[in-house]
Amino acid sequence: MIKTKPQMCRVLKNQRLDKQGYYYKLTLELSQKTRKVFPGQFVHVKTNQGLDPFFRRAFSIADCGPDNSLDIIYKIVGRGTKILGQLTKNDAVDIIGPLGNRFTVPSKKQTVVLAAGGVGLPPLLYFAKFLLDKKHPADKILFFYGGRTKDDIIEKAAIKKYAVPFYPCTDDGSFGYHGLITGAIEDKLRKLKTSSTKIYGCGPEPMLAALQDLALKNGFTGELSLEAPMPCGVGVCLGCIKPRLDDPKKYVRVCYEGPVFPIGEVRI
Amino acid sequence: MSANLQIEIAGVKFKNPVTVASGTFGYAEEFQHLIDLDALGGIVTKSITIKERPGHPPPRTHETAAGMLNAIGLANVGIERFIDEKLPFLKKLDTVIIVNVAGSSLKEYVDVCHLLEKAGGFDMIEINVSCPNVDRGGMEFGTDPESMIKVIRAVKDVTTRPIIAKLSPNVTSIIAMAQAAKDGGADAVSLINTLVGMAVNTDTWQPGLTNVTGGLSGPAIKPVAVAMVHKVFRSVDIPIIGIGGISTWQDAIEFHLVGALGLQVGTANFIQPDASMNIIAGVKKYLRARKLQSINDLLGRIKV
Repeated sequence: MIKTKPQMCRVLKNQRLDKQGYYYKLTLELSQKTRKVFPGQFVHVKTNQGLDPFFRRAFSIADCGPDNSLDIIYKIVGRGTKILGQLTKNDAVDIIGPLGNRFTVPSKKQTVVLAAGGVGLPPLLYFAKFLLDKKHPADKILFFYGGRTKDDIIEKAAIKKYAVPFYPCTDDGSFGYHGLITGAIEDKLRKLKTSSTKIYGCGPEPMLAALQDLALKNGFTGELSLEAPMPCGVGVCLGCIKPRLDDPKKYVRVCYEGPVFPIGEVRI
Repeated sequence: MSANLQIEIAGVKFKNPVTVASGTFGYAEEFQHLIDLDALGGIVTKSITIKERPGHPPPRTHETAAGMLNAIGLANVGIERFIDEKLPFLKKLDTVIIVNVAGSSLKEYVDVCHLLEKAGGFDMIEINVSCPNVDRGGMEFGTDPESMIKVIRAVKDVTTRPIIAKLSPNVTSIIAMAQAAKDGGADAVSLINTLVGMAVNTDTWQPGLTNVTGGLSGPAIKPVAVAMVHKVFRSVDIPIIGIGGISTWQDAIEFHLVGALGLQVGTANFIQPDASMNIIAGVKKYLRARKLQSINDLLGRIKV
């Protein structure tokens, strides 16, 4: 069995992605022995050498190249990400991964609606690339991406390079559709058949809750990648739980049964 | 000369003193892709109760300075599913298997131990009389010496396997509780369980845990644990398994020096899943460098 024990990775790049300096892309060199990486999975990152912050931080994988380089995209929001922002080339970072499950691959006949909200972008960016590599028709990959303002819409060049239909949305209307991403998706879903469409979402909980409601109300299926603070990331601490939709007294572990769950499984 | 890490507690031989603590290692299957399970001295399972328990609503873990709070609420699959689904995997491992048992009544402890005894396939039972996070039971058996004696006696009646009493630090006298465990017939004591703690969110004014209070664990509590092991070792003649913030081989040596024969690595498993492996290697190296033959050469040898 290939183990996923902690490994020290060399930093290849730590690139700022926006003018303000909130968003970064960290590129790490994985050991050759790492097990195969898939979109939807995450890595559990020790942001420091000492005890503060105490827990590792979980990040969705944004890309993984054939050269064993792995990208995560993060927004500086707290102590852990602030430390990551200071990393430079050749620094070492302790990670565990890949962990968790993955997005399931739709049939090539299906239209794929990707819904990324804010820093929920990375796994869907990776998934779009993965599907294109698998020869999924580009015009059947609809990339919805919502942020507060135009400054929160990052990696535009990467998305444009994929040449998939791109639907940026901003709360203030400074770029693309003016309004919530679920509004833009609702308009589009009216023109799509439930049987030949699959929705994939990742983003803040209010957005995922709205997306799940929208899909369930209109009979669409799909998958959502959830986020939760994860003390262990490997299924044993039972801290990162969410209630099940059918029985809210029962829980799923985001790190172990997820982070990707079928729409309709988890109460968000 | 090669150092020998073997220890023996109540007739059970451990290949090394390093075991993993209840609630920090699931049912071990979760860790099979992370470390070599057979290299461990032993594995303590999640606390098992008579019925399946979902545990408390989230948030039930909270990050603190050099540690964490938890109020999981004894979430577990229940004894039936444990025997059917989890024990077969554990049985196959070449390491000591210790099943942790929790209950909210004397009858529950007895019933779970009885069903375990019938199933077999494990080596020892650790009695959780110290969970701070459930409304009834658990801790009441762990804070009152008379109740402790009763619960240990009752479970000894239904099992042939050695009993470890896991002690709570949330007591006036840890010595009195260790003595009570011994008087009840416990073969060993493990200490300490978590310390009652609490955190408050300054934005929302809500507690960090839905359960309001929880158990503090991690390196933050290690000095408390070392002091309690030290006290018990000097006062009660019973094998001690040290628990509390053990994350490095130096921590392990400290615990041995104050009198812990066995060790449990707990919260460190969350941060560094291979912490136990590094500790085993480090202790071995330390013994060799100091030309010590076994853990017994360290046991309680603190110079005071």
